[in-house]
Amino acid sequence: MKLPLSWLREFVRIEADPATLGERLSMAGLEVEAVERLKPAFSGVVVAKVLRVERHPNADRLSVCEVDAGAAGRASVVCGAPNARPGMVSALAVVGARLAPERADGDGALRPPLEAAVIRGVRSEGMLCSERELGLFDNHRGIVVLPDDAPVGRSLADYLELDDYVLNIAVTPNRGDCLSVLGLAREVAALFGLKLGPAHSRPAAPRLGHAAADPALSIAIEVTAPDLCPRYAALPMARVEIDDSPLWLRQRLKPCGMRPVNNVVDVTNYVMLELGQPLHAFDLDRLRERRVIVRRAGDDRELETLDHVKRALLKDDLVIADGVGPVALAGLMGGLASEVDNSTTRILLESAFFAAAGVARTSRRLGLVTEASYRFERGADRQGQIAALYRAAQLIRKVAGRCELGAVIDVEPHPLPARQVEFSRERVAGLLGISMSAGEMARRLRLLEINVKPAGKGRLVATIPSFRADLGEAADIAEEVARVAGLADIPTLPCRPLKDIGGEDQRRALLSVIRATLTGCGLTETKTLAFAAPRDNQTFAGFKGTAPVQVANPLSAELSELRKSLLYGLIGTLRFNLHREAQACHLFELGKVFYREQGELKEGERLGALSYGELAFKGLGERGRIADPLTLKGVVESCLDALGLSARVEFARLPPSLAPHLHPGKAAEVRLDTGVSLGQLGELHPELALALELDYPVALCELDVGELIAYGSLRKPVAPPPRFPAIRRDLALVLNRDFPVAQVRKVIAQADASLLESVELFDVYEGGSLPAGKKSVAVTCRYRAKDRTLTDQEVNQLHAKVTAFAMERLGALPR
Amino acid sequence: MAAFAKSDVRQSLEAIRAQALAELAESSGLDQIESVRVRVLGRSGELTELIRSMRELPEHERPAVGQLANQVKREIEARIESLQHELRLRKLNESLAQTPLDVTLPGVRFFHGHTHPLTQVTERLLDIWAAMGFEVVATPDIEDDFHNFGALNFAPDHPARDMQDTFFLDGGLLLRTHTSNGQIRVMEQRRPPLAVVCPGACYRRDELSVRYSPMFSQIEGFAVDDFGKITMAHLKGALTEFLRAFFGPESEVRFRASFFPFTEPSAEADVRCIFCAGAGCRVCKQSGWIEILGSGMIHPNVLRAVGYDPERYAGFAFGMGVERLALIKLGVDDMRLFFENDLRFLGQF
Repeated sequence: MKLPLSWLREFVRIEADPATLGERLSMAGLEVEAVERLKPAFSGVVVAKVLRVERHPNADRLSVCEVDAGAAGRASVVCGAPNARPGMVSALAVVGARLAPERADGDGALRPPLEAAVIRGVRSEGMLCSERELGLFDNHRGIVVLPDDAPVGRSLADYLELDDYVLNIAVTPNRGDCLSVLGLAREVAALFGLKLGPAHSRPAAPRLGHAAADPALSIAIEVTAPDLCPRYAALPMARVEIDDSPLWLRQRLKPCGMRPVNNVVDVTNYVMLELGQPLHAFDLDRLRERRVIVRRAGDDRELETLDHVKRALLKDDLVIADGVGPVALAGLMGGLASEVDNSTTRILLESAFFAAAGVARTSRRLGLVTEASYRFERGADRQGQIAALYRAAQLIRKVAGRCELGAVIDVEPHPLPARQVEFSRERVAGLLGISMSAGEMARRLRLLEINVKPAGKGRLVATIPSFRADLGEAADIAEEVARVAGLADIPTLPCRPLKDIGGEDQRRALLSVIRATLTGCGLTETKTLAFAAPRDNQTFAGFKGTAPVQVANPLSAELSELRKSLLYGLIGTLRFNLHREAQACHLFELGKVFYREQGELKEGERLGALSYGELAFKGLGERGRIADPLTLKGVVESCLDALGLSARVEFARLPPSLAPHLHPGKAAEVRLDTGVSLGQLGELHPELALALELDYPVALCELDVGELIAYGSLRKPVAPPPRFPAIRRDLALVLNRDFPVAQVRKVIAQADASLLESVELFDVYEGGSLPAGKKSVAVTCRYRAKDRTLTDQEVNQLHAKVTAFAMERLGALPR
Repeated sequence: MAAFAKSDVRQSLEAIRAQALAELAESSGLDQIESVRVRVLGRSGELTELIRSMRELPEHERPAVGQLANQVKREIEARIESLQHELRLRKLNESLAQTPLDVTLPGVRFFHGHTHPLTQVTERLLDIWAAMGFEVVATPDIEDDFHNFGALNFAPDHPARDMQDTFFLDGGLLLRTHTSNGQIRVMEQRRPPLAVVCPGACYRRDELSVRYSPMFSQIEGFAVDDFGKITMAHLKGALTEFLRAFFGPESEVRFRASFFPFTEPSAEADVRCIFCAGAGCRVCKQSGWIEILGSGMIHPNVLRAVGYDPERYAGFAFGMGVERLALIKLGVDDMRLFFENDLRFLGQF
């Protein structure tokens, strides 16, 4: 809502400077986002009366005008305007005046000072100006026309209040009443302890004209949908002269962001801005059968609105209909066919209360938001209809000829009594954390036109003004009590923890360890958006669920699904960085993925990791190791170590069909000993890598964070270091080439030897003297007793037993 | 063999000593020292031979002469050892001087990665709340209308919903537009007293731009207890404590009345602009204050929606945007930096 300070001051005599005013409003919940300074685009222009107009002796199209500029004296000016007439009041630029720039798109500099000049032999001591020359409106058809009673000699800028401030206020959705000058004036009056001026707050009924009996002004109004339209008031008017609005009226609308249309429409907009009640003017003669029915659209399918758009109607949309069909979309926009235009002489002014929900529903469906719908949705004044009609009638009579008024028609099937809210002082004080007397509460509320009376048993009852639809219970009353004095008035009390501190947050702790381990391994955390294109979800389908989750109203086709996997985002990040100087990328992301499982929408947390290019620990001129699935596996193993899961996890060959995005020969499932799948690890399928034009393989991994957290633990068993030395014996076995190495350790560890502490792999070798299809696997067996130093002899015997066991169980040949 | 008299032996010992020490003094290399050692102390060296011949001396003379011989031997050995050590040390020092390290060469770095700035800010925020006794609870991103809107007192078709343009899924589900669903999720499950913070991703239909992202993160927090134990004054206290922990103990905090469907009364908390100290700058839009978070007393309709009696319980709630706090804290002015993941940006944290 844009609020010109000059307009506000018509309602309340606020002396505070705009910054102070803005600050106070902001603190009270009406956030002033900006204070705009308005200045006239000219100087040295005064209100002047044209006394005489004579033909220019040497030019047909020019005239010589004698003008009276009050204190500035009289002047003779040459003028080319066709509308210059004796007796009119206009705008005179005196010698030395500076006018608005010629072109609106220029540098904004004013024209050079006006000099007295001789035009075709006649001296001109100034200039009568058009609206364009004053930078007011783009109207250059003639000189400015001011009302006959405009004060001659006064600065035009003062007269039109062009030196002004406009407060741009972000009105919250609950405060529909503040979408008007009057509503904001009420707030200002309450906040500054001022009285509202009487001028326009309650316009009196205008005297009815003599046309009340004119049969042409009779019209039947019926409301068949009182749930959507609890009140419908209208006023017929005759002998209306449609024309442009006077300058002052247009000038009022301009800083509020509204374009002038014609005098009647401009008045409806003016009253809406002023009082908050949206109005609509129909051409009365275009309402067929002289009937107005406020009803649901029913079988009517379409209405062409003022903006020349044919709007499809649903049967529950509220419309204003005449005897034949819809003529307006209630609370949103009028119909084109009943529009007021230059040929109009009789109008019907509509001032209704449309229920917020109905207007909102239709507005949202049609994607049509108007100044009217915006206000109805946020709640208009339930009792504001008649005052607005009166005010509009008063203004139309002022600007559209001496028109005649019919009788106000007011249809309100179920008049609403003033709302009352009962509350207790303790309730309000207890919510706010203050101690306050009922008297002080009542005093504060009275500032907001809320009257409070005792209701017995220590309770109070507040009578809510009709414009405050947002106040319904004690909590609302508490807000008003707090707001009107400012929240700084409420004490600041320490908030002691409500629960015992010390409860461990296992989830956060585990996530933190995961992050620390990954960054320690050189991976950097990324965050990508959770939206994906369908083809990305097809390529990187994650490892759980089937179909992807679609967004019904995506920002674009590229973002029309939710990601099933973090891998595509990581690859996008790799590509992004390779295009920006990066040689290597080691990345991870913790985030959610989404999928369907048995028809249901599911979400899961994932850890995605990508490793590409050199690992960075290297000196000058040295080459780092290139990342591959095994280096990334090392990272994952570090993580599993940190979570206490290493001993329980195995990596198994993953059939290509389960991970088509991975290299078919280099893909693993990460599995818990219970069979629970933790995720996948491998190399990006070389075919997918082709498009990226890479130098090295891309190692990828995606793990289920939910499972890691469910099974992981930071509480690992702790043992003191052994007191006696271990004795090592190596063992080399020749096995088939495709025999999984992890099996060797696992099998040897099953040997019946309690003193065998560990089995560590130290070499895998192929070729050389080995037969084709074979490999040599070398392990170190470590033997240790808890209570003594083992002897060589003892260990030799044990190791021989272990060797024999391994050979037999693994079907291995000795090396 | 009387010719082998005691005095002769003494003289010979002195001579060997004098000659050996003289030669050692002249020698300039380990080789020369070694040849002296072999000639004098070797298996058939001069001194060795002489000592061996002393067996022929009369018994009573042997101890005195023997003593002298040992003394000579030890003296020569010691001199050889010290000369050898000296020479070795000299050689080492000479070689060390020839392999100097350019200490201005860069160190070989142990490369580590970086956590995302949003993670760092989120963790800091949660640490503060956790230290204040708030429990961290994770809640879902996919929500239904009830938990995201209805229970939070958003009437159907109310324009408050327009403040948050929603992504819809199917089956009446949507992507949560705020973490306030956490209030409902937790309160449905549990009874007061409660003090909880819910961090997480939220989604609104905004194009990724300098100021907005279709996905962003928030932290919702709330505390509920018996009516009277939790008041607006406690809300102010909790938020002031939090803001001072995050922005610094000197931070000036103010509360402005506002509107949220799920709180009543509602308040926004601002801090004195940390960039201009309140003088007015681009970041604070010349106001001297930066909007930080929204808050208020939980609306009675919200309490009713989760089956809490608003006559019996009261609570406060607040919500903050992590990106916004991160932008302010890090002095960065472009939301997109957080989501494009340029390593040259991420590497700075």
